[in-house]
Amino acid sequence: MITAKGLYKRYRKTVAVDHLSFDVRPGVVTGFLGPNGSGKSTTMRLMLGLDHGEGQTLFDGEAFTDIRRPMNKVGTLLEAKPFHPTRSARNHLRMLASANGIGDERVDEVMDLVGLGSVKRKKPKGYSLGMAQRLGLAQALLGDPGILLLDEPTNGLDPHGIHWMRDMLKHLASEGRTIFVSSHLLSEMQLMADELVVIGRGTMIFNGDVDQFVREFTQSTVIVRSPSAAGFASALEGAGAVVAKGADGELVVSGMEIGAVGHLAFTANVELSELSTRSASLEEAFMSATGASEEFIAAEPLAGNADPAAALTPASKTGGADNA
Amino acid sequence: MLDALRYEWTRLTTLRSTYWLIGIGLLCAAAIPVILGFAAGDETLFPEIIAVAINGGASFGIPFLAVFMAVIGIFATGHEYRHGTIQPTLTALPQRSRLILAKILVVSAATVAVTFVSMAVNAGVLMIFFGEIPGLFDDPVRPALVGYVVYALIYTLTGLGLGLLFRGVPSALVVIFLAPLIIENVIVGLTMVPALDWLVPVVKFLPFTAGSLLMTVGSTDMGMGTDFGFFDRWGSGGVFAAFAALIVSAAWILFKKRDA
Repeated sequence: MITAKGLYKRYRKTVAVDHLSFDVRPGVVTGFLGPNGSGKSTTMRLMLGLDHGEGQTLFDGEAFTDIRRPMNKVGTLLEAKPFHPTRSARNHLRMLASANGIGDERVDEVMDLVGLGSVKRKKPKGYSLGMAQRLGLAQALLGDPGILLLDEPTNGLDPHGIHWMRDMLKHLASEGRTIFVSSHLLSEMQLMADELVVIGRGTMIFNGDVDQFVREFTQSTVIVRSPSAAGFASALEGAGAVVAKGADGELVVSGMEIGAVGHLAFTANVELSELSTRSASLEEAFMSATGASEEFIAAEPLAGNADPAAALTPASKTGGADNA
Repeated sequence: MLDALRYEWTRLTTLRSTYWLIGIGLLCAAAIPVILGFAAGDETLFPEIIAVAINGGASFGIPFLAVFMAVIGIFATGHEYRHGTIQPTLTALPQRSRLILAKILVVSAATVAVTFVSMAVNAGVLMIFFGEIPGLFDDPVRPALVGYVVYALIYTLTGLGLGLLFRGVPSALVVIFLAPLIIENVIVGLTMVPALDWLVPVVKFLPFTAGSLLMTVGSTDMGMGTDFGFFDRWGSGGVFAAFAALIVSAAWILFKKRDA
């Protein structure tokens, strides 16, 4: 169990983390989401005492810096390639293991576990980003910890690697471990995470389960196909629904439950060929929840311009761009 | 603390640079008695010559081994930042003071051991060329050699402190080379200018210049012709040690306050 209370970090005039408090429960994967520059990495560094700030984080009731042999309790992966280029991967892990009373046999075991057993004596400077991430995960798993704190662990992994990482983290969570993982791959997070902590500009946007987040920040729509679509659209609008026409001629109805749409079709004697609900994705919910919290906003491409560079125009969004 | 010492020992011994720096340091230091042996193998060994040969030219102003060990000291802390390993290090060993103390103890022990090995090798070379080393364990050679070990140790700790202070390798390397070789020599040279003779009392507080007096045989006037009023061997060593302590302390305090 991780308990974070009042985490706060300021860099000169910029507040990076603004009094964040949340719990991360054991037995589930908790995703940590936020736009670039929202303070995710800083939050994780604060939790581990790497950065100095305010607030307190307890890992099963203990502050990280008070834990003797912390790798046996909390496994971490923060940066993609924090390795000395000429020290072999195995020796890198041996070095960290030696500070935590972990034997060389466990080093070999985790190297095999993450699929790097055959290259464990190679220097990590020759590793791809994906291999470096696997080594980072091996480092996190070294002490067989009950808590894992991983910053963007799927960065640089190929699809097989991402799949493997997802299964691994879900398996570890099913063993009752506490998994706190940040990622930009929202589709992955939707498959992997059970609960979410979502932040924007260092402040809490949401803390709860994934389904609740999607429900809270998006609107489900009802899809209707009918030979009498035009007429039924008028009836729906008359009943207070908002109706849009989809790309294939279907009606996209919002503001009315699927049951009410069906009942209206029945009473209006309208034939339906499809009546279904379309739920929003985590990505849509994330965009909706954090749209105003983006710190760095890129230009948007203009359609129909041959020159990609000239096709860029400043985004119309407001919020962070002026201040960034 | 034992965990921290184990960590630092593993860190030091799993780096290839540790071995080639020590190897080159030992070779360079051993080159001095070899050159002496070829150049003056049939002459009588005086205490000054014995000291220079065994400390590998350090008391002659070319402290090869001390410089290479200082680079190892710089790497002990500077590499952690240069390669970003400070993060995994602090997640494996979050007690910062314990980590720094372990680095100081392990690097110091390695420096003392390597310096003794170097002296033994150099003494062996002298024995081969001259057949005997008169007065090796007597005054004035003995205190000069003890002073050499202390000098190498303080030099190394200065490097370690600089690496931690600058949180990197290049700046620390610049200072460790620039301060003794250029800055202090320039200041000593400027004292020869009559208008700048007010610098004379400053010279005895120049850390690397004062440190070199740890290895002196006989008087501490360094044969410069000017009376700088140097402290005695251990007083001068104290000046060098105070300089190293200042750097290490400042770096240690900042390390505890700074973000990793």
